[in-house]
Amino acid sequence: MTEATFMGVPREKIMWHPTIDYAKCTFCMECAAFCPHRVFEQREGDRRLVVANPNNCVVFCRACSKTCGPDALSFPEKQATIAAIKQIREQESVQ
Amino acid sequence: MKTAVLSCTGLDKPEGSVAREVAIRMAAVADSEIVCPVLLNRSLARYKKVFAESSLIVVDGCSTRCASKLAESLDLKIDRKVLIAGALKSSGMTLEPTLRLASNGEALAKTIAEGLAQSFLAPAPALPSGASSTEFPLPGDYMVVTHDKFEFRIPAAGYWFNENDVWVRPIGDVARIGISDYMQQSLTDINFVDAPAIAQAVEQFGELGTLESSKAVFEVVAPVAGTVVAVNPEVISNPTLINEDPYGKGWILELKLSNWPGDQELLLNSDAYAKTVKHKAEEA
Ligand code: SF4
Ligand code: SF4
Repeated sequence: MTEATFMGVPREKIMWHPTIDYAKCTFCMECAAFCPHRVFEQREGDRRLVVANPNNCVVFCRACSKTCGPDALSFPEKQATIAAIKQIREQESVQ
Repeated sequence: MKTAVLSCTGLDKPEGSVAREVAIRMAAVADSEIVCPVLLNRSLARYKKVFAESSLIVVDGCSTRCASKLAESLDLKIDRKVLIAGALKSSGMTLEPTLRLASNGEALAKTIAEGLAQSFLAPAPALPSGASSTEFPLPGDYMVVTHDKFEFRIPAAGYWFNENDVWVRPIGDVARIGISDYMQQSLTDINFVDAPAIAQAVEQFGELGTLESSKAVFEVVAPVAGTVVAVNPEVISNPTLINEDPYGKGWILELKLSNWPGDQELLLNSDAYAKTVKHKAEEA
């Protein structure tokens, strides 16, 4: 796999992925079935669903949260993520 | 035209009780027909006549969207959708944690039903929902990215893309927005467009409504900042236009640009987007 970038910034430097609120999640697995990027994984035990591959998540996508009935998925603030991306781009172009 | 409201039963979550109340109120204020989802699921024939005569409004309580999914599974044409959980968020209210409708839920249902009744009974005249007077010439030339037996077209010039597969075609200080051929094919047939309101302002990478197909719900991520000046009425009534002609007749909306060319810094040109599509197609 080639290294993933988003707007020229290495993907792993960008904070963007769903966070599961385990107080709300009913483990219906709709989100896991919905997302084609293997972000979620099912596990044994209490927390039967985890965000296993956060960097597979498409930056600014929030689609899985629109399938979640109990509203258990949250994302970072877009503006904060954009500001961080711009900052990294500036730093890299200075070098 | 008459209206019919298919809503969630309200027996799972407080949001559902609000959805149910919206249907009941619409019957009272707009003489709208109530479609019971449980009965509909048993007997489509019972509502055949209602659907033939009415615009269908679907009210979902939560994002599980049982009512929408039922409508889609029966191939019903949906004219308007309301998601109570979404309306609740934008209202800043909270619901009492009970299935029996309480005062906040009632207030929310009242606001929603009145808004719906108004837009169906007395559509505002001369709503600027159509295209602006700006001419948007069709792309002259296309680049084609191939992967297996799939072909994804990308206009060779004049279009800019974000990495969320949304294009922008700026002409002067107005721009058209739509989704790429690649995204249109990934979504398969689009059956519902939830467009933002005219005059709504959006930041770059903010949300410009959603598209729904039987496969997915897609958030239209704004490629540029601006104010919505037009929504394509043809795409609203016939969403598969986006599949048929994603860069032409399938445009979704027009924005008055507020930060162009500044926004361009974070967009891809056709060459760069072609590489992105290739990469995405290989990974999918
Ligand atoms: S869709 Fe929501 S409730 Fe269902 S498993 Fe995912 S996070 Fe949990
Ligand atoms: S936001 Fe999109 S890419 Fe990320 S996990 Fe959800 S569906 Fe997958």
